[in-house]
Amino acid sequence: MIDFSSLAVRRRQRWRQVRDRLATLLISACGIGVIVAVLAIGVFLVMAAWPLFSAPRVTAESASPGVEVAYPLQAPLPAGLEAWLREQRLERPPRALDERLWLAEAHRLARIDLAGEAPTLVARLPVVAPERRISAVASLAGGRSLIIADDAGGLRRWLVEERPPWLRLAKTYRDRGTPIEALWVRPGSRQFLVRDAAGLSLYDALAGERWRGELPAGEALGFDGEGHLLWRGEGVVRRLAIEAPHAEIDWRTLWLPQPYEGHAAPQQRWQSAGEGSLDEPKYGLTPLAWGTLKAAAYALLFAVPLALGAAVFSACYLPRRLRHRLKPTLELMEALPGVVIGFIAGLVLAPFVERHLAGSLALIVLLPLAMLLAGGLWAWLPTALRRHLPLGWAGLWLMPWLALWVALALWASPWLEAAWFGGDLRGWLAASLGLDVEQRNALIVGLAMGFAVIPSIFALAEDALSGVPASLGEGAQALGATRWQTLWKVLLPAAGPGVFSAVMIGAGRAVGETMIVLMATGNTALMSVNPLEGLRSFAANLAIELPEAVPGGTHYRVLLLSALLLFLFTFVVNTLAELVRRRLKRRYRRLGAGR
Amino acid sequence: MRRAGRPRGEGPWPWLAAGSLALSLLMLAALLLLLAGRGLGHFWPAPVVLVTLDDGHQLAGQPVREERRRTLEGHWVRERLYRVGNRDLDGEAWRWVEVGRIVAEETPEAWAVIERRRWGELIVRPLALEEAGRRLTEAPLWSAFEARLERGRALAEERDALREEVIAPLARRLAAGHDDAAARERLVAAQARVAELQAAMARDVLVVESAAGERLSVPLAEITAAWRPNAMSPAEKLLAWGSNLWHFLSEGPEAANSAGGVWPAIFGTVLMVLLMSLLVTPFGVLAAVYLHEVAPQGRLTGWVRIAVRNLAGVPSIVYGVFGLGVFVYGLGGRLDAWFFAETLPSPTFGTGGLLWASLTLALLTLPVVIVATEEGLARIPDQQREAALALGATRAEMLRRVVLPMALPAMLTGVILAIARAAGEVAPLMLVGVAKLAPQVPVDGDFPYLHLERKFMHLGYHVFDVGFHGGDVEAALPLVYATALLLVGVILVLNLTAILLRHHLRARHAAPGTR
Repeated sequence: MIDFSSLAVRRRQRWRQVRDRLATLLISACGIGVIVAVLAIGVFLVMAAWPLFSAPRVTAESASPGVEVAYPLQAPLPAGLEAWLREQRLERPPRALDERLWLAEAHRLARIDLAGEAPTLVARLPVVAPERRISAVASLAGGRSLIIADDAGGLRRWLVEERPPWLRLAKTYRDRGTPIEALWVRPGSRQFLVRDAAGLSLYDALAGERWRGELPAGEALGFDGEGHLLWRGEGVVRRLAIEAPHAEIDWRTLWLPQPYEGHAAPQQRWQSAGEGSLDEPKYGLTPLAWGTLKAAAYALLFAVPLALGAAVFSACYLPRRLRHRLKPTLELMEALPGVVIGFIAGLVLAPFVERHLAGSLALIVLLPLAMLLAGGLWAWLPTALRRHLPLGWAGLWLMPWLALWVALALWASPWLEAAWFGGDLRGWLAASLGLDVEQRNALIVGLAMGFAVIPSIFALAEDALSGVPASLGEGAQALGATRWQTLWKVLLPAAGPGVFSAVMIGAGRAVGETMIVLMATGNTALMSVNPLEGLRSFAANLAIELPEAVPGGTHYRVLLLSALLLFLFTFVVNTLAELVRRRLKRRYRRLGAGR
Repeated sequence: MRRAGRPRGEGPWPWLAAGSLALSLLMLAALLLLLAGRGLGHFWPAPVVLVTLDDGHQLAGQPVREERRRTLEGHWVRERLYRVGNRDLDGEAWRWVEVGRIVAEETPEAWAVIERRRWGELIVRPLALEEAGRRLTEAPLWSAFEARLERGRALAEERDALREEVIAPLARRLAAGHDDAAARERLVAAQARVAELQAAMARDVLVVESAAGERLSVPLAEITAAWRPNAMSPAEKLLAWGSNLWHFLSEGPEAANSAGGVWPAIFGTVLMVLLMSLLVTPFGVLAAVYLHEVAPQGRLTGWVRIAVRNLAGVPSIVYGVFGLGVFVYGLGGRLDAWFFAETLPSPTFGTGGLLWASLTLALLTLPVVIVATEEGLARIPDQQREAALALGATRAEMLRRVVLPMALPAMLTGVILAIARAAGEVAPLMLVGVAKLAPQVPVDGDFPYLHLERKFMHLGYHVFDVGFHGGDVEAALPLVYATALLLVGVILVLNLTAILLRHHLRARHAAPGTR
């Protein structure tokens, strides 16, 4: 007989309670911790990309005593040049010095080349309206852009060219306003300060005005080693600390064409410059977004018909036993690592397709025809033979038939090319359609990534189709519908949202797939629809560039921004698909899925 | 009712559907066959063919494949690729030969394939053996050569053993200041013996002749392996195939990863995956238990559940970005500043490494484990829990004694799926710690034995790196096939296990669930 009132038992009971509480606490803490950690990914990406869009901060502060001017406001001229200028009786006009010397003469700008033994005047270029006067000139790092300000308040960026017209207008920051007195380029960056009567502004060469503020009283001395402006007012040196590490980024410079150096017209371009390089970094995300969507689109173009066709066939025609075998097989297909598919696509398939371009392109038309032909032939087969090749097993016995056609098309490829395209399909494509052909192209990516996406779309679509309550399909068939009619009129309308969510999940996967795109395209950031040209996607770009990007730098943060875009896109798409699927499940339950 | 005779037409659509299923399966089969054929075929000793061309030139090589190519004049010709080796003699280890120009092909038994430490393979005819410049007349030549090669290997082993077991410890002791005459004497003796061995190994030289008639003397110490494929019986070939396969699995890479084996990559992959599963299993299971058993089942939990499920669909590279930003630069940088300040600015934990890679992949696979475990928990009928509680068990006891044991197969499935996913992921690793060639394996005899900060090699990355960054892609291709096959094999086996386990699980719980 157990005495519940005894002390030992009560103590044990209490100990059990405590242990229960502790365990619950532990589980809750771990569970919440893990979930928070997993969800922290989004938070981290937002936090990391956020500083890109924060406004520049400019603060006046007292300078530390020993601070010295590291970069004067205007670079001193070499002695020889100074003498030459005096010889030419030129006073101290607004000027800029890089590999050349630019001198303002009223509304014109003189370009003086310094490469030869003596400076030579190349041209006098009218860069502002005749009634205005150039009030300041500055040259950006690398010497390929000039900023020209005038006394009517105009401020423009000109690109330097190596042949006439020598200068080309790239961007007008403002056309009129308070007369500009001085331009100071921040050392080591593509930002400049503009001083006019009303105050001081900070401009970025691409993004335009980023900050405007009061003009401190006194006289500007120059920039210190970190690019902050030193200022002498009322006898003390003060420092204007300029915190604008990501001034070139705003939504316009990320997504719209920009007048980059070295290009005749505004460009959509992604081309990060290396650390310390004088080249202008080009952070246009549009080509990458384009590449991502292009790869995904071609992949879906290939995968959706195949996967949905397979799902429909599996749900409606396959014998039950075969279906239970087939699903794990396709699940295994999903597990194939991207790096292996990418390797096959990039190193085996791409050169192969390039050699048999005509045959491979012909397959796109030929294979559906071959499937239909098989159906036609089958209908004419004697009944005895047909019993050995049932429609339900067509998914298997069509394999050798299709393989035969693939082999036939590839074998006939040279003849096709000779007969229709004068023996040279590439030349024909370039001449008559204007299409370039690259070895690793969007077609290959579409094929490889489509292959990778097929199983996920198939599995979800098949689930949706075979989850439709059996009574619906049976009812339709009892009323005399064929299986295809049942599918088209009953199953698909019922399972439509599920099929759609399957496609969405496939799209999410295609957008984020890294290795296949990395290995099967040339990774050139092009913007073309041509399926035979390469592309560069967000994911592949991250894998290539992020290891080299300096943490905290603009390049790094823009890359993280692209990761955030990927994250948001896939997360939203997946959430939508999941919600659709849940609703569908509830609907099936309502329709009476009790089987 | 079914009519006899011709069935009612279903129209063309079912055929397109059937065709798409067949095409998908066909592609899968083609991929697997290609991998298996090329990956395993590489180790088979291919015959050496002596080809005579119509202009009288001869070449000896192993045929690789044939292709139809267009000449500059626009004709299509069949060309065959031969692997001819002899890179130092001919400058090119591969030769395309127009099939139409081949006059005669023979497979003479005397031709041998010789693998060297440098310059790759030789495909040559051995002429004679020399010892210190003196020609040896032992016959037959090949067995004499093999005997001397074996002797040379024994000598090399002795030398390596001496170096590692005698010279290195003694040198360390002397360097540490323990100066004693006996040790010094033993060191000198050992070094003398090593020099003697070196000299003995350098004495033997094989004289060979290439198909073009050039002669070359190859020191036996340079030769790592040699075989005469044309003289081998099928059984010997099978043996050679097995031993090649074993070398591939058990040795390190050579010649800038384009030859040799993948052992460090296998080791790195397995170690990383093990660490990852150690991290992901407890946390994944706890999170699932919390979500399903402890948390109030409200709207918020539903949303969290959807979010966790969706994280499985977030691209892996995004996890890599997170790992780089938070683990490597954030945590790693902090750790370096606190504990490894003396080695800065060269980072210890502030760069990619084993620990960060496994953490990142653990995060990546957490949703997989959580979802699978939750599914398992949901399959356990509520009666079981209620019965346990009714018998007076606390919730912790109910979970530990009743629920978790029943959900064990589901957890296992989740962990296996997580491992399979982690083993195949390469993109995040490229950001958080994989290396092209890791000089040091992360496990060794130095304290603390497991070096979590070291970079490691990975099978998947090996495929990418060798195939896309190597110099001689043609030479590396068979190795890439073999590596890819290995990776796919491992992943397929893991997945099959998971599928079988899940099948078993469903069968087990189907009965009580429907009761």
